[in-house]
Amino acid sequence: MNRRMPALDPFVIAGPILVVVADVIVYVAVGKLGTKSSGKGGKYQPFTGGEEQIPARGTYQSELFVFAALFMVVEAFALILAGCFASPTNFYPLLFLAGGGGVILVVTWWLILVGGMRY
Amino acid sequence: MIAGEVAEILIFPGLTFFVWIAFLFDWLDRKTSARMQQRVGPLVAGPSGILQPVADFFKLTSKEEIVPEFADKFIFFLGPPLFFAAPAIGIIFIPVFGATAIVSNEYDLLFVLFIIAFSALMAAFLGYAAAGRWSTIAMGRLIAQYTGYEIPLIIALITPAILAHSLSIAGIVQAQQNMWYIVLAPLSFVVFIVSALAELEKPPFDIPSAKTEIVGGWMTEFSGRPLAYIKLTKNLSYAFLSALAVSLFLGGPLGPVLFSDPALQAGVDFGYFLVKLLVVGFVIFVIRTALARIKIDQAVRFFWMVITPLSLIQLGFIMLVWWK
Repeated sequence: MNRRMPALDPFVIAGPILVVVADVIVYVAVGKLGTKSSGKGGKYQPFTGGEEQIPARGTYQSELFVFAALFMVVEAFALILAGCFASPTNFYPLLFLAGGGGVILVVTWWLILVGGMRY
Repeated sequence: MIAGEVAEILIFPGLTFFVWIAFLFDWLDRKTSARMQQRVGPLVAGPSGILQPVADFFKLTSKEEIVPEFADKFIFFLGPPLFFAAPAIGIIFIPVFGATAIVSNEYDLLFVLFIIAFSALMAAFLGYAAAGRWSTIAMGRLIAQYTGYEIPLIIALITPAILAHSLSIAGIVQAQQNMWYIVLAPLSFVVFIVSALAELEKPPFDIPSAKTEIVGGWMTEFSGRPLAYIKLTKNLSYAFLSALAVSLFLGGPLGPVLFSDPALQAGVDFGYFLVKLLVVGFVIFVIRTALARIKIDQAVRFFWMVITPLSLIQLGFIMLVWWK
């Protein structure tokens, strides 16, 4: 089989970067329009009508959130591997397998370090 | 040459064009639901209130931005433009004139799938970073819902790829010259629309942003410019997912050839695309207005017990019958 990978359009990489850069520039520019305040109270403080405001959440750890992060990492890993179905050599499947495995290793390591495995 | 490509990506038919489509979708959504509920809907800004979403956006951007005391400041401010970037990047892979997109690659459908997943997780990040009670509850709901609809959504979008033997959106559009995939895989289209409703947090899956239960959901603590961006992103996702449905199931911009001149035909194709986009959008507007919100456990059960098997049945049928 003499199949060759097609040449990559540079805009496949540059296009998304361009969109993100333009997006952040517009976001910062639009930010000049509004005023900012921080630190005290929440958005609904002026509307509590003298009643005690619902306290802020403070520190919170969600196992569901960790699960979702892992879910997404595995999903990305599976999608990239699926993209190799037409690969002419085993280079890309092995590369993405190693990359995906590395990501899972790092995430699991992080999960253990932050105490996610402690019960 | 490069300036032309940059203009296509940022202005037309790329980002700016789709932002206007997003505003149009917001207006049509509000008008449709208003008419179905015997109300008038937006009326003041522009003819029939068509500029109301634009006015709302600029009004919000000029309002005060309040940052909660315990919020993660970095994500709180950087999150909204990143959340916006997800559908904004996705639209450049959608063919609008003929069967070619502004940017195309052999595997761009996989990239788009990743973008959809990133968008949901970014919303959860934003809710988490806001450090509010309501946003925390909403974040949990969002993640539970996400784990329910993500798998059938992926299966529904991979089905046209299998039919076309291509993971490129432009390739899938080209493969539908003779037959739209909504005919060959109607269940996948239904699964996609239902999953898209969940991704967009529209009724009956507006559980993470249920106003009568958890105030503004994960967006509760956001105000001013970040809130304006988040709302715009949701409308842009609305347009993006509808455009994706048009590309993967309704032949994209392809339709009967009326002119031999390619430039004139491209204009006609653009018209086909807009009509199909509005039809898909309208289907979503009507469903979301007609149905009431369900509970999170019902939603997750519905996705795992009904929608996922449906998507698998369609995929299995396609692989048995149409696989060459």
